[in-house]
Amino acid sequence: MNTVRAELRKLLTLPSLRLTVLLTWTANLMVTYAYAAAESRGESIGDNAALAPLGYTQAGFLVLGVLAAASEYQEGGQIRTTLLAMPRRRHLQAAKALALAALTLPVAAATAATSTLPADGATWTPAATAYLTLTTLLGAAVAGVVRRAVPAVVLLLGLYFIAGPLLRARSAASASYLPDTAALDPSRGATASIIWTLSALTLAALSLHRRDA
Amino acid sequence: MVSLVRAELRKLLGLPTAWIGLVLGTLTAPVIVLLNAPYTRRAIAAGTLTDTTDLGLRDLGIGLIGPMILGVIVVSSEYTSTGPDAPGARQLTTTLTAVPSRRRLLAAKTTALILVVAAQAAVTAAATLTLTQVLHGEHAPTPAPARVAAAILYWTLTALLAYAITLITRNGIVPLTLLIINSSVVSVSYLLTKVTDLAAYLPDIAGAQMFIRSADVPVEIAPLTAGLVMTAWVVALLAVGAVLFHRRDV
Repeated sequence: MNTVRAELRKLLTLPSLRLTVLLTWTANLMVTYAYAAAESRGESIGDNAALAPLGYTQAGFLVLGVLAAASEYQEGGQIRTTLLAMPRRRHLQAAKALALAALTLPVAAATAATSTLPADGATWTPAATAYLTLTTLLGAAVAGVVRRAVPAVVLLLGLYFIAGPLLRARSAASASYLPDTAALDPSRGATASIIWTLSALTLAALSLHRRDA
Repeated sequence: MVSLVRAELRKLLGLPTAWIGLVLGTLTAPVIVLLNAPYTRRAIAAGTLTDTTDLGLRDLGIGLIGPMILGVIVVSSEYTSTGPDAPGARQLTTTLTAVPSRRRLLAAKTTALILVVAAQAAVTAAATLTLTQVLHGEHAPTPAPARVAAAILYWTLTALLAYAITLITRNGIVPLTLLIINSSVVSVSYLLTKVTDLAAYLPDIAGAQMFIRSADVPVEIAPLTAGLVMTAWVVALLAVGAVLFHRRDV
């Protein structure tokens, strides 16, 4: 429990996370407004207007996860100090995931509510909150393996915003296997999101356990 | 100046992330042409795709993640810490020791970036358009050289846009996130064109009209004007970036 509290404190004091959250909220408000304005001009974009803005703002959550995990490996190699204080790596990894989830949950809930409530999609709010939290954990897990923020961001955003949409456009069957389908279609992609996140977390835990710091 | 450009080229091509950008950017468009070939053929046969003049050129709008990564990484690599043993040291300190004139350094960096991206764009355009000719030769007219040149210019300007934003933010993650989301299938800029007609003058929407004819935009801009609009954006952002780079501490 002490470890979780320590990890939470480390996350809360990172200025880059605060900035990411603020930028994500601003972007989410803007995109939600854009969707509402387009709708009222009679130009439908086709997607579910309650969830579509989250399709864009999930990028902020991916970055949040990446920055949270990569902060340990940047600059002075903070991970060495962390491991000195908490040598049991499996416990450390679990505490990190718990702390990040605890930090993300309220942020995700606020983001999901701003986009779903104005579009009368209140029933989607819990699903969207869960999805955004899982996405953050996935981002953190990938960054835990890659250990560098910029390559991890390139990898994740490339998969979520370029490869994912192209694959879905090509074969509708692939949609239920992709981690980001749930952003627009929760009933269809939820299982995939959970499985992808859990496998990424397992991989990150194994990698932390096996590799030198 | 030549040796400065050569040094900057070497530094850029020595970065592993730059190679990710080079490989991703060069392969994406041709691979998409290949994968979509059966659909395109069916669409032409069924008569749903009547305007084939954009065939191949349209796909060049997709591999832009390559120039974006290159434009960002050429600046952000200077600002990352050199290693765990000297966390305060950044490569930029060393670079400025070697080249104290910031204006010349920036000029050399810009030239190196333009050279790399233009070469990448030329290779990608050649591969994509040749592939389109081989696959749909009888339906796709050979694109005019001016339009191919415009596509290469679009790639180069996109890289410079990413470069200018990174000069301002001094951090790679913000511009990468912004630009990659915006290169997604339904981009934020496209969304904004549904809200206000002014969004047609955003750099990516205007720039694409240099070489794509049948774009879904509220305001049609002539290719030359489109090029000027995008260049104006890039020049303005680069000017801000250059002034900040000149004035700020390392």
